Amino acid sequence: MTRLSALWIKETQALLRDRHGLAALFVMPIIFILVMTMALHDAFMPGAAIDVAYAIVDLDDSPHSQSLARRLAKTGSFRRIADPATTDAARADIRAGRYVLALVLPKGFGERLLTPAGADGQATEALTLMVDPTLNPALQLAFRNQTSAALGMLRADELTHRAGKLFGLPTTARPAERDWPDEIVSTAVQNDRSIRPPSSVQQNVPAWLVFAMFFVVIPISAILITERQQGTLQRLAAMGLPFRLVLLGKLLPFFVVNQIQAVLMVAVGIWGVPLFGGEALVMPSGAGLFHCWLVAAAVSLAAVACALLVASLAQTTQQSTIIGGVGNILMAAIGGIMVPKFMMPGAMQTLAEWSPMAWALNGFHTVMLRHGDFVAILPDLVKLLACAALALAAATWLNRRQTA
Amino acid sequence: MLKVDGVAYRYRDAALPALRDVSLNIPAGGVYGLLGPNGAGKTTLISLLAGLLTAADGSILLNGRPLAEARAANPRAIALVPQDYAFYPMLTVAENLRFFAGVLGLHRREIKTQCDAAIAFARLEQVTGKRAEQLSGGLRRRLNLAIGLLGRPQLLLLDEPTVGVDPQSRSFLLESIAALPAEGTTVLYTSHYMEEVEAICQRVAILDQGRVLTEGALDDLLTTAESSAEIELDQPLPPDLAERYSATDLGHFKFGLFFRSTVEVACLLDELAAAGCTVRQLHVGRQNLEQLFMRLTRRSLRD
Repeated sequence: MTRLSALWIKETQALLRDRHGLAALFVMPIIFILVMTMALHDAFMPGAAIDVAYAIVDLDDSPHSQSLARRLAKTGSFRRIADPATTDAARADIRAGRYVLALVLPKGFGERLLTPAGADGQATEALTLMVDPTLNPALQLAFRNQTSAALGMLRADELTHRAGKLFGLPTTARPAERDWPDEIVSTAVQNDRSIRPPSSVQQNVPAWLVFAMFFVVIPISAILITERQQGTLQRLAAMGLPFRLVLLGKLLPFFVVNQIQAVLMVAVGIWGVPLFGGEALVMPSGAGLFHCWLVAAAVSLAAVACALLVASLAQTTQQSTIIGGVGNILMAAIGGIMVPKFMMPGAMQTLAEWSPMAWALNGFHTVMLRHGDFVAILPDLVKLLACAALALAAATWLNRRQTA
Repeated sequence: MLKVDGVAYRYRDAALPALRDVSLNIPAGGVYGLLGPNGAGKTTLISLLAGLLTAADGSILLNGRPLAEARAANPRAIALVPQDYAFYPMLTVAENLRFFAGVLGLHRREIKTQCDAAIAFARLEQVTGKRAEQLSGGLRRRLNLAIGLLGRPQLLLLDEPTVGVDPQSRSFLLESIAALPAEGTTVLYTSHYMEEVEAICQRVAILDQGRVLTEGALDDLLTTAESSAEIELDQPLPPDLAERYSATDLGHFKFGLFFRSTVEVACLLDELAAAGCTVRQLHVGRQNLEQLFMRLTRRSLRD
């Protein structure tokens, strides 16, 4: 026990003096959480407003053109900020960057609402959408679709209104004022109750926590490689210290580091993110909290073991920084840390199943978002612990081979 | 104290064995010098003695017991001071000493006593709170040695302990090492500096290409039966004299010569004077360690 406590104290002292290691472990993930939560604030909110402004040039100025404008405004997805009088004014505004979309409702729009182009031998002037060429094509398409849908509803209502009058059917008094579209409410499916879908903070805190936990590779390999290069490992072996004790001496301090990271990241999610205008992180309570810790513990063991394997593979700290750093970024990219897994195509989602970071994130999501019980997180726990055991065995074997 | 008998070792994938039939006898209470050119097998032998490698053939006995058994019974019996600064640069001198004392399994009180003793021995009192990375080369060597003394080993293996230090620190280190046997620690000392080994070792072994070329008491090894001489001239040695005295060219107009009897020395001086050669230096009789080393290992350049 004296030997282990000496190892633990030494690792702690060495880590506390490694400024770069501490920055990689604590500062980097906090910045990631804050930046990514703010950047992706709306991406995880179904039906949330898109911060894209448009204008309507109403050359018709009829009840129908006004109705279309109101219907578009009610969808709330795009922001209507101006009503220029002419297309030239709209063009000038787009060039000046005031807004990126301008919908031109031509003269005679209301009159020819129910007259398809050329049906009565006269040309029907089309609606024109003026677009800033730098606008994301997906957003252009979204606006076109919303306009088409609003136009379709307007036509349908007008048709119903006229047909009702014709056949003496009951109709609404002011069809143009009816709310549109019929709202579709998104709900997340959870274990025992339904609450609204996860916010960006609930996606980002566990994701970047997992990423940060795996970054123990930087300080662990820095110390282990220094020990090997300077002959300290040889000296320790000559003192009769088995290599497994050297590994165990690193496992506990960095396990504690990972737990501190977890507490810190959760605290940032609960109290830090709201300071920047984001939503506060909601943590499970009772058994859920314990399950959350179980996942954190398994992730930590896997992360430290992987770091020890990288440190055993690399000959220099430069190599370990490259293998560890790039390896982590790849695992994060594949494992759904940087791009959520559900956004990936099928083949990539299958690939994600091979990233320990994906198991870790899935474990956290099972507890935090789906309120899963122990049985639900067990598959991910088993995978993470198996990964830890394999990495430790490989690290021990590599070190034995190097000294033989 | 330590008996090495017929030991052989070959590294994995190596074409030739690193050690072949090595036998040494290191008595207790002295400083034993282990010499050899680069690649001679010194580090391999030290690694075997430190328990880092296991010999394929032969036996190593410590106080009459097989090495592994003796180490298991007393893990602190043998300590290694590697050539590298084998400690933690980011820790202070005191923290390094406390850590290694802890790894040796010493109890809290013992840790304090032995750390204090090691600090006093290596005269590190002024720098105990300083980080190891901020120490000079000489102080680092002293810390490296001080760590080796924790646990009061019976045998201390020193691998090139004075590399890269200034003359003052070297002198201090040599004096300290020479004093260790009096405190109960036998020393196995490897170095490339012949004058160091000659100054502090009572017995030496010279290793080359994995074999022991010679082993014994330093005085015995340096006293030769033949009358040999080393002479330095101001010009090349005349060929007829070189042939008569079996001269070997040592470079820079230095020559090694052999005499059938010492009276030939006087003849040689007359003959050199007649040939117009001026003698700058003449050394007759007991050879020094460097001469012995060079003669045994040949002068060919090593890696």
